[in-house]
Amino acid sequence: MKKRIAFTLLLVVALAVAVAAGLMIGAERISIFALTEQQRAILFDIRMPRVFLGACVGASLAVAGASLQALLRNPLAEPYLLGVSNGAALGTMLAFVFFESFGFARPVLAFAGAGIATFTVYQMARSRAGMNVERLVLSGVIVTTFLSSIIVLLTSVLDAARLRGFTFWLLGDLSQATYQGFYLTLAASVVGTIILTSQARGLNLMMIGERDALDFGVEVGRVRLIVFGVASLLVGTAVAASGSVGYVGLIVPHLIRLAVGSDNRLVVPFSAIAGGIFVVLADTVSRTAIAPRELPVGAITALIGAPVFIYLLRRK
Amino acid sequence: MLKVKKEKREKVIGVLLLWLALMSACSRTAPPSETVETRQITDDLSRQIDVPQHVTRAISLAPSITESIFAAGAGDRLVGVTTYCNYPAETAAIEKVGDTQTPNIERIIALKPDMVFVSTASQLEAFTQTLAEQKIAVFVSNAISLDGAVAGIRKFGEIFETSAKANATTAEIERRANALNDLLKDQTKVRVFVQISKEPLFTIGKTSFLTEAIEHAGGISVTKEVESAYPKLSKETALALNPDAIIMSDSEDNRGPNDVFKNSSAVKNGRVYKINADIISRPGPRLVDAMEQIAGFLHGEKN
Repeated sequence: MKKRIAFTLLLVVALAVAVAAGLMIGAERISIFALTEQQRAILFDIRMPRVFLGACVGASLAVAGASLQALLRNPLAEPYLLGVSNGAALGTMLAFVFFESFGFARPVLAFAGAGIATFTVYQMARSRAGMNVERLVLSGVIVTTFLSSIIVLLTSVLDAARLRGFTFWLLGDLSQATYQGFYLTLAASVVGTIILTSQARGLNLMMIGERDALDFGVEVGRVRLIVFGVASLLVGTAVAASGSVGYVGLIVPHLIRLAVGSDNRLVVPFSAIAGGIFVVLADTVSRTAIAPRELPVGAITALIGAPVFIYLLRRK
Repeated sequence: MLKVKKEKREKVIGVLLLWLALMSACSRTAPPSETVETRQITDDLSRQIDVPQHVTRAISLAPSITESIFAAGAGDRLVGVTTYCNYPAETAAIEKVGDTQTPNIERIIALKPDMVFVSTASQLEAFTQTLAEQKIAVFVSNAISLDGAVAGIRKFGEIFETSAKANATTAEIERRANALNDLLKDQTKVRVFVQISKEPLFTIGKTSFLTEAIEHAGGISVTKEVESAYPKLSKETALALNPDAIIMSDSEDNRGPNDVFKNSSAVKNGRVYKINADIISRPGPRLVDAMEQIAGFLHGEKN
C-alpha cells in the first residue's frame, strides 16, 4: 500500500514537472517571472492550452489503450494500431468537410468513427477458436489501411487546398489547441478514466478468461460494451483535438505494468497520468527541436513507440 | 529449409530472365526512329537535351510553365497541360493530362509530344526517366525567382523559335520590375508575414521565391531566416514577430489571419491583404503582377 502511494506521488510530481517544463520551454524564450504583454500572450494564449491539451490527449489515449489491452487480452491492442484513431480521423474529416460550422460535429463524428472502427475490428478478430494476438493485429492493420485509403481518396477527390492541413494533422498536431478543445478533452479524459477504473475489477477477472469472469458474476457483455464505448469516446475526443498521436496507448500502459503489475485498478488510472507526461514531453520536443519550425508530435511518439511495439511482439 | 529457399531463388531468377528476354525483344521490334534534325538545349538543371529543330507539340506539367510558354508566344504549341493550368483562358481548350503531381503518362505518350516541360517543384524525377525512354525530350524548369521566370520565358522563346515575342514580353516585365524598384527605392521596408494556410500555420521561408518577391515589392518577409521554402511555423514565433502587414493567399484554407495575430500591429491597423493564390504560387510571367499588387498594398497610399 505504501509503495502504491509512493508511486502515485511520483507520477503526480513527474506530471507537474513535465507540465512546468512544457510551459517554460518553447520556440520563444520567455521568463515566467518578468512577462511582457507579448510574452503573457505567448504563455497563456498559445503555450498553456497546448500543454494542457497534450496532457489530456495523452491521458485519454493511454487509458483507452490500457483498457482495450485488458479487454482483448492482448498487450498489442492500441487505438492507433487497431484503426480506432483512423476511424476518429475519418469522422473528424467528414465533420470538417460537411459540418464545418458546427463546432461539436468534430468530436461527435470522431467518436462515431472510432466506435465503428472498434466494433469492426472486434468482429473481424473474433473466431470460433476465440481471439488470438495475430488475428487482432491483422484485423487492425486491415481496418487502418482501409480507412487510410478512404482518407487519401477524400483528400484527392475533394478540393486539395481545403484539406491541405489535414496531412500534417493526421500525424498528430497539437498546434491547433484551444481552451475549448482542452476543456472538452479534459472532461472526457476524467470521466472516461473514472468509468474505466470502475470496470477494472471486471477486467481483471476477464483477463483470466471470459468464462471464469462470468462465474464470478461479471456481466461480461456489459463490461465489453462500456470499455468499447468509453475507449471510443476517449480516442474520438483526443483525435478531434489533435489528430492521430500514435503508440501512446501502447508504451504507457506497458511501462505502468512493468512498475505495478497487471491489476487494472492501478494500471488504468496510472496510465492516465503517465500518458499525460509522455505526450507533454513528446510535444515539447516537437515544438522546440527545429524551432521556429515544428514537427508533428505523432512522429515523435511513433519514433519511440515503434521499437517498443517490436520488442513486445518478439517477447510474446 | 535451405533447399526450399534455393528453389525459390532460382524461380525468381528465372522470372527475371524471362522478363529481361521479353523486354529486349520488345525494344528490338520497336520501329527505328525516323531521323529528325535536332539541336541541343540546356535546361535549368544544366542537362543537355536534344530537341527537334521545330517543336510543334509540347506538354506542360506545371501552371507556371504553361503561363510562361504562353508569355513566350508559343501557347498554340501546347497540346497538353495539367488540370491546374487555368491561365490564360486559352488553356481551357487544351487537353488535360492529369494534375501536377500525378500526370497520366499514357495520355502524355498518346499525345505524341516533341517535348515535355516539368518543374522541379513537382518532383517528377522518375517520370522524366520514363519519358526519356520514349525518346521524348524533357525540359526541367527550375524558376525560383523573377529573374528565373524571365530567363525561362526567353529560353522558351528559343525552343519554340518565338524569340521576338518572348523578348518583347520579358522586356516589358523587366521594365515594370525596374519601375517598381525606382518607385520604392526610398521607401522604408514594411515587415510582412505571408500566411500560406491558417491552420496549421504555414508560411514562406528562406528558399521561397516569394521571400525575394516581397523584397522587390517594398516589404521584408519576417520569416526570411526560417529554413525551407514553406515551413510550418511555431505560433509563439508568429506572435512574437508582430508583423506590420499580413499577406494571405485567397485559398479556401486561409480565411482570415490566424488568431495569434489578433493583437499584431498588422491586424490592429487593418493591414491584412488578400491576393490571388494562383499569381503568388507560380514563378511565371504574372509574378510581376503579384509584386505590383503587393507594392500597392504596402505603399499604396503614397503612390
